[in-house]
Amino acid sequence: MTDVRPAPAAAAEALTDAGVSPARRRRRRVPIAPYLYVLPALILLGVWIYRPLLQTFQLSFYSWNLLPTQPLTPVGLQNYVSVVSSQQLRDALVNTGIYIGAFLVFSVVLPIAIALLSRQVGGRAKTVYQAIIFVPFLVTPVAAAAVWRWLLSDSGGAIPTVLQNFGIDIGDVLRSPTGAIWAIILIVGWQMLGFGVLVVSAGIAGINPDYAHAASIDGAGGWTILRRITLPLLSPTIVFLVLMTILLSAQWTYPMIDILTQGGPSDSTTNLYYLLYQIGFQNFDAGSAGAAGTLFFIAFSLLALGLVTLSDRLSFYDN
Amino acid sequence: MAFVPVADITLPVRTTATATRSHDHARSTVKTASRRHIRVPAVVGHIVLIVVAFASIFPIYWMFATAFRQPVDASSQTIFPWPISLDSFTTVWQQIPILSMIGNTFVMALSVAACQLVIAILAAYGFSMWQFPGKNVLFLFFIGSWLVPFQVTMIPNYVLISQLGLLGTIAGVIVPNICSAFAVMLMRQHMQSFPRELIDAAHMDGRNSWGILLRVVLPNMRPALAALGIMLFIEAWNNYLWPALIFQHQSNALVQVGIRSFLGSEGDNWGAIMAASGLACLPIFLIYLFLQRYIVDGFVRSGLR
Repeated sequence: MTDVRPAPAAAAEALTDAGVSPARRRRRRVPIAPYLYVLPALILLGVWIYRPLLQTFQLSFYSWNLLPTQPLTPVGLQNYVSVVSSQQLRDALVNTGIYIGAFLVFSVVLPIAIALLSRQVGGRAKTVYQAIIFVPFLVTPVAAAAVWRWLLSDSGGAIPTVLQNFGIDIGDVLRSPTGAIWAIILIVGWQMLGFGVLVVSAGIAGINPDYAHAASIDGAGGWTILRRITLPLLSPTIVFLVLMTILLSAQWTYPMIDILTQGGPSDSTTNLYYLLYQIGFQNFDAGSAGAAGTLFFIAFSLLALGLVTLSDRLSFYDN
Repeated sequence: MAFVPVADITLPVRTTATATRSHDHARSTVKTASRRHIRVPAVVGHIVLIVVAFASIFPIYWMFATAFRQPVDASSQTIFPWPISLDSFTTVWQQIPILSMIGNTFVMALSVAACQLVIAILAAYGFSMWQFPGKNVLFLFFIGSWLVPFQVTMIPNYVLISQLGLLGTIAGVIVPNICSAFAVMLMRQHMQSFPRELIDAAHMDGRNSWGILLRVVLPNMRPALAALGIMLFIEAWNNYLWPALIFQHQSNALVQVGIRSFLGSEGDNWGAIMAASGLACLPIFLIYLFLQRYIVDGFVRSGLR
């Protein structure tokens, strides 16, 4: 864990990827070998990511129920109109915001606090704590859903039973329109926490302690060092975790929503990703799913590109 | 509450010989000041970490505790399951082919990880060893694929898999996952830090690029390959969405899908459900127990790129 170093954002790096000596020697003629090495990955990427992306866009102008025998009927922009005007989309949009906001606490805020605190704890104990905190990240989603459904069960589950001893009755959380989303957040947050702690700890380990010394010699207190030195030097790690949370929260929430609530009760736990699944595979409306997917991809790309630009401006590299 | 780096107190400060004298005094005052006002006692750290570690591990402990209880005691709240009983596991064994489910999932995850690793090694080698026209554009294709959420592409992919006749098969789960752009990027990162001198020397010995990859680069990258391979395996094992789509109807082929239907059919038989869930996690837990260093390394590197 000591040999890791914060590196600049991959995107920026790819563009400045300067040639090295053997490569320069060969520049006179265009080499064939690198294309051959890259080709398999490129073809697969084309077939399984960019081809379906274009098809999703194409489908958004048709009406089709996913049955191979049924024809595709062109409908113009109708799919977009119906998707944008649906109440379900608005609910999903709001919930997606809540999910991402809450997950940022579990994947960024809490891990920073925990990683900073664990610096006070010496070698072996720290490793053991961190190893334990990481375990939930490895639990198969179906098992995580199952064990939390059991823990939260209103007939004999450990959490309601214990709370009842304190006179608190939470009832059946997963069937409550207000509580269910928080239960899902808690479960996914429980899984994400260890990953965040691991990444932040590695980021902190990569910071040269000389800066903090220099600052403390100049009379800076602990709080100032944290705010002016540690956090700025940690910013690439933080930006990475924020991006990761936004990019991957879908993959992490989907199984919980699918197994525990199916988006309910009354759409209170649905999000954009689950909505896409419902439109496509429950309503069998490939056209609307295409329209929603296209809108979703555009919004998502703008958000991510905005974040990357922002991070390039904010990030503070220890060069 | 504020924090001071531990290093502040424990490590010697590097100062130039001439400046040492004047700084010595300043340093000692800072040290006492930070001790007095700022440093959080290690006890607080221990307490917070113990609480967090307990919250992290309790659900997993409870899963196994419930699985080992006698079925009549499933909803008992005693901390230790006693008397220990294997009845829940027997129920699982009789109801679903749990062993073949785990075996199938193992084969699936191993194939996915192996394919992703091979494809990533090739592409990363091409990207990191040569300068060629179009390189940046091609690389942007790899980065750009991160922006495409899986859910956006799933319908056309589902249609293609069904046209290939792979719906409801393990091959249908594997095929779309053969290439991972993420693995390519991580591998490229590793290869770029590979010492140039070794490659140049092999060149002078008259080896071609394929020989260099097989005989020079790969043997020297075993730890990185192991870390990435294990990580890809865990990801493939824990993938839920795509297997759930490929096996939409009741199926006992893979643990993710099989246990989901078991969850539905067993209703409130928590002992059996926990036993099945515990078995589904067991292989990953064992890998973590024995190869923890590689796993942590793999995930941390992914975190810092």
